[in-house]
Amino acid sequence: MTLLSLKNVSFAYLKNKYIFKNICFDIQPGEIFCIMGPNGCGKSTLIDNIIGINKPLSGTITLGDQSIFDLKPKDFAQHIAYVPQSHTKTFPYTVLDVVIMGRTFTTSFFSSPNNHQRSRAIESLYQVGLKGFENRLYTELSGGELQLVLIARALTQDAEIMVLDEPTAHLDFSHELMVMEIITWLVKEKNISVIMATHFLNQAYYLENAKVKTRVALMNQGEINLIGSPSEILTEKHLKDVFHIITTLGTTSNSGEIQKYIIPLKKDV
Amino acid sequence: MIKQKKIITLFLLIILPFLFFLGTLCIGRYYVSIHDVFLVLWEGITGTTSDFSSETTAVVLQIRLPRAFLGALVGAALGASGAAFQGLFRNPLVSGGILGVSSGAGFGAALAIVFFNNIFLTPIFAFFFGILAVILSYFAGRIDNTSPTITLVLGGVIIQSIFSALLSLLKYVADTATQLPAITFWLMGSLASTKTSDIFLSSIPMFLGITGLLAMRYRLNVLSMGDREAKTLGINVNLNKLCIISFATLATAGAVCVSGVVGWIGLIIPHIGRMFVGNDNKWLIPASMSLGACFVILCDTICRSLTGGEIPLGIITALIGGPFFIYLLKKTKGRNWS
Repeated sequence: MTLLSLKNVSFAYLKNKYIFKNICFDIQPGEIFCIMGPNGCGKSTLIDNIIGINKPLSGTITLGDQSIFDLKPKDFAQHIAYVPQSHTKTFPYTVLDVVIMGRTFTTSFFSSPNNHQRSRAIESLYQVGLKGFENRLYTELSGGELQLVLIARALTQDAEIMVLDEPTAHLDFSHELMVMEIITWLVKEKNISVIMATHFLNQAYYLENAKVKTRVALMNQGEINLIGSPSEILTEKHLKDVFHIITTLGTTSNSGEIQKYIIPLKKDV
Repeated sequence: MIKQKKIITLFLLIILPFLFFLGTLCIGRYYVSIHDVFLVLWEGITGTTSDFSSETTAVVLQIRLPRAFLGALVGAALGASGAAFQGLFRNPLVSGGILGVSSGAGFGAALAIVFFNNIFLTPIFAFFFGILAVILSYFAGRIDNTSPTITLVLGGVIIQSIFSALLSLLKYVADTATQLPAITFWLMGSLASTKTSDIFLSSIPMFLGITGLLAMRYRLNVLSMGDREAKTLGINVNLNKLCIISFATLATAGAVCVSGVVGWIGLIIPHIGRMFVGNDNKWLIPASMSLGACFVILCDTICRSLTGGEIPLGIITALIGGPFFIYLLKKTKGRNWS
């Protein structure tokens, strides 16, 4: 079964200056799909196409048998939730006010989320480990906590697909691990399909080590030619071709299980 | 907010405008006691014959009551639309005039004064030119069938400057003995010269606008997350923006067409509201209405009772609002803006 399907998707802001070309992939239920590649390779623009902000120049993005651009925002939000790469905080809302916005699609034009939606939002907060944060101002949170709040908001949408754009950019190791644990939980326990853009290669190995159904798409200069499991794709040879770096793969069993990781050594000149 | 605090705040926000409303009926150069005000109001409602002098009845029912009513409505309209635009434009420094409704209204009023010299036409021209300015700003800021916040604001700034240039042109050609002072006084804002029929007419758009903003106030929270997030949260961003702009414009245009350009209220009242109820627009919009109504009634009372003549409303709102705002800023240490 395929949830979301991209066929020959191409996009350009200016005529003939393609950001990416002929992107094809399918998203299956309960898998995590990592879009990886160097900075500026078009990951975020591709994400913008998937969440319906930008319309592709050609190709189709379909949810079931319907183009996502034919969906009303309301219906879209039921199926696809989005966690932004960066969030501009304008007004100091409480954490609960922000998380409850995940239920906006259930409200009609002139109404607001009710008490039932409110308890759904509180449940999400508990699930991401932010118990007791309901009445804190979200402008006063740390970067890691804010990221968890935004994930809780997306979780509140109860959508079967969650799209995360660089979810761990600007986070320290401990918060990065926290976010990765939540993402693992989303896929394994909630059976949500995750599409994630990231340039942290070890995150794919982390997910594979955690026995999550993981696929990696390596994006390079606007094309995706390599899709497969982390071990198949993130090899020393492929990374040399795409990132122009010399890397080494290692394994460790310090945590009790065998875990793969990758270390960049030097630039390939 | 904590439940108990919520109830107290709600109670205050409902009761305060009524206290101010009654207060302004008593206070003035001709003092009427609260007891007499109630009796006169009662007689006004029931239509029984009066034990009071005709002066007392006239002052309360014909002079102060319409003004108090208008002041409450203008304050509520400007407060609510200011809060709505701050949320919509994700900018705590904008007010209801950001898309040019006040500049347009000022130009319209001046046009009526210079070319028609007709006090009946002034509010009508002000209203429609106010709306026209916003429509122009909206289309100026529209790009590829979307209305990004930044280009909307830019469109607004451009249209504002065009209308103030046109207003200057009218001032330049206006008769300096009669028309120019009339324009200047109109621009300073006042509730003094309004007729009951104007109040009735202008209350229709104000009422419509306020009701619309109240009904859509939750959407403002979502829109203030930015277009991209609002869209993925399940909102038709363009439609919602258009509706909120329309309602806020109706409210503001209705207010300025009878009261003139009263500055400050749309900017400062939402901030005072935030200190009471926080940033959730479900609370902020009604709080801004309530506080706006109180503030305008208070300022108008001062305008008409401080001296023998009438002080323009715009002067008092700024003179009271400014220092009070600084006081609140120091007291709360700006925590509600961060």
